[in-house]
Amino acid sequence: MSNAFLSFESEPGRLVVKVRGQWVFDEVLALEHATASVEPEPGQFVSFQCAGLEKIDIAGAWVLYDRTEQLAVEGIESEFTGFKAAHFKFLQHIIDAAAIRDYEEPPEHPVRPQRVRKAVESLGSHSAAVIEDLGEIARSVLEGMRSPSLYMVGETIKQVYQTGVQAIPVVMVITFLIGIVTVHQAASQLEKFGATVLVVDLVSISITREMGVLLAAIMVAGRSGSAFAAALGVMKLNEEVDAMRVMGLNPYQMLVIPRILGLVIALPILTIFADIAGIAGGALIAIGTMGISSLQFIERVAYSTDLTNFYIGLIKAPVFALLIAAVGTLRGMQVRSSAEELGLKTTMAVVQSIFMIIVADALFATLFTRMGI
Amino acid sequence: METIISIKNLVNRFGNQVVHDGLCLDIRRDEILGLVGGSGSGKSVLMRSILGLQKPTSGTITVLGQRIEYHKPGPSRCWGVLFQGGALLSGLTVQQNVELPIALYSDMPLETRHELASLKLLMTGLSLSVADKYPSELSGGMRKRVSLARALALEPKILFLDEPTAGLDPIAATEFDQLIKYLHDNLDLTIMMITHDVDSLFGICDRIAVLVDGGVVVGTQDEVLDSDHPWIRDYFGVPRAQRARGAMIRPAYE
Repeated sequence: MSNAFLSFESEPGRLVVKVRGQWVFDEVLALEHATASVEPEPGQFVSFQCAGLEKIDIAGAWVLYDRTEQLAVEGIESEFTGFKAAHFKFLQHIIDAAAIRDYEEPPEHPVRPQRVRKAVESLGSHSAAVIEDLGEIARSVLEGMRSPSLYMVGETIKQVYQTGVQAIPVVMVITFLIGIVTVHQAASQLEKFGATVLVVDLVSISITREMGVLLAAIMVAGRSGSAFAAALGVMKLNEEVDAMRVMGLNPYQMLVIPRILGLVIALPILTIFADIAGIAGGALIAIGTMGISSLQFIERVAYSTDLTNFYIGLIKAPVFALLIAAVGTLRGMQVRSSAEELGLKTTMAVVQSIFMIIVADALFATLFTRMGI
Repeated sequence: METIISIKNLVNRFGNQVVHDGLCLDIRRDEILGLVGGSGSGKSVLMRSILGLQKPTSGTITVLGQRIEYHKPGPSRCWGVLFQGGALLSGLTVQQNVELPIALYSDMPLETRHELASLKLLMTGLSLSVADKYPSELSGGMRKRVSLARALALEPKILFLDEPTAGLDPIAATEFDQLIKYLHDNLDLTIMMITHDVDSLFGICDRIAVLVDGGVVVGTQDEVLDSDHPWIRDYFGVPRAQRARGAMIRPAYE
């Protein structure tokens, strides 16, 4: 009985195993099969004769050593003979490493009660950290507002440009399209009542009151909420935030305030553009395909949309902006260690800010209805 | 002696800045080559060119007879790289980091992979209690050891080390040098290391390559020290280099 790597000679009292061939990484699977067939009879010890070995590396040496360990567990002794020095040093590595491993205590794996305790503890410390961060942000924002620096003003203007001005085209395009969709959908229903002209009221009210600001906010949450979280997260990983701290600069003031302020300024501006584009989209279809004259359209818009609707939409914008910027920057600041975490926090920033925007919008709708406006 | 890596007429140019200008260098089997040079002399660019991470302006690089091309798979089974910061994958545990290359290049059963990865960790002087930790939970020195274990996972023939002892305290740096020397002597490795640590330069390097003026001055310690290039004389003339050299005459590494 023999194979490509081993051949056997059974003698009284010992099993001679001749080791040969290439004992290397690529052959590990075959080597494991080969060594598994080393099965001495009762009363035999195993003598590995290694003179025929052509090549060996750590993986190969480990397979050989591992078999002797298994045999030792069964109470069978084994020996190595005929090793070339150039080959034996690989085995020596394994013997050294195994000695360290045996000397070490095996690592403790936490049992279930500990896991539960750990989970609760980490949840608690996590919540505490969030509250602490929020507190620090709020405090430094208030402090920073009292004595704004020139740097912050410049940064704020940059943020208004990046989050607001640069977003104008995309926001206008999507609200324009939503205006078109709204008119199409409404017209097919209103036609049945012979009230086609009311699509104008419908589109102008829904865009100015709800859709304009909501679409702009959701777009900004995707564009800028994620950008805030990612930028601040990378700055934390690069120790830039720590560098600011040791220079005596408050990173919340330097990084968070300009972003919040910038977005609070930018989102209302975006909302106005969104409203204009949405109504324009509605006008295109109403005037172009439904036989409503442009004069009639303008008149209906002016009649139905008193400025209250417009203001109601506009007043929500700074609140949404605050939510997006606060969630984005907070999540960014929570990145502590790894690239993985950065991705996770960025995702959280976007999802949570959109979620909060919609919750806030629902609250506003209830509030305004109760107030009768 | 057999040449493992051969660099011929390498030119690297960024805009007007010429980093390598017709650089030629051969790295021989079983040597430890220390690569030094001033800031901006193109040490990292050279290493990245060899690894196929950087597209040279012109020139050819052959590793183990295989021509290296930019972003094409090189002889990745045959080399291991220790990046300066460790470059461990932050989403994986220490054990998974070391197991990853083994899993990619072999069909070993899970248990064998696990054992082999543990073995590599032990060989680089790590305790198995770190195996389930994430890289962010480790110290800089430990991260380097894990990275070295990962570099050794596939039994490479060549090891590239980018400033292996940078950021380590003198005790850890000396231990790391000894570890590199030990692995070199016992695993038949060819090693190219970028280093500014004059102790490791004199302590474990067989030859030293100095990048100057877009080219390279290469030789044994004595040959390089005898060079009359002004930058090289300055580099090895500063007190710390002199001290390290003095320490070598009274052998510190035993």
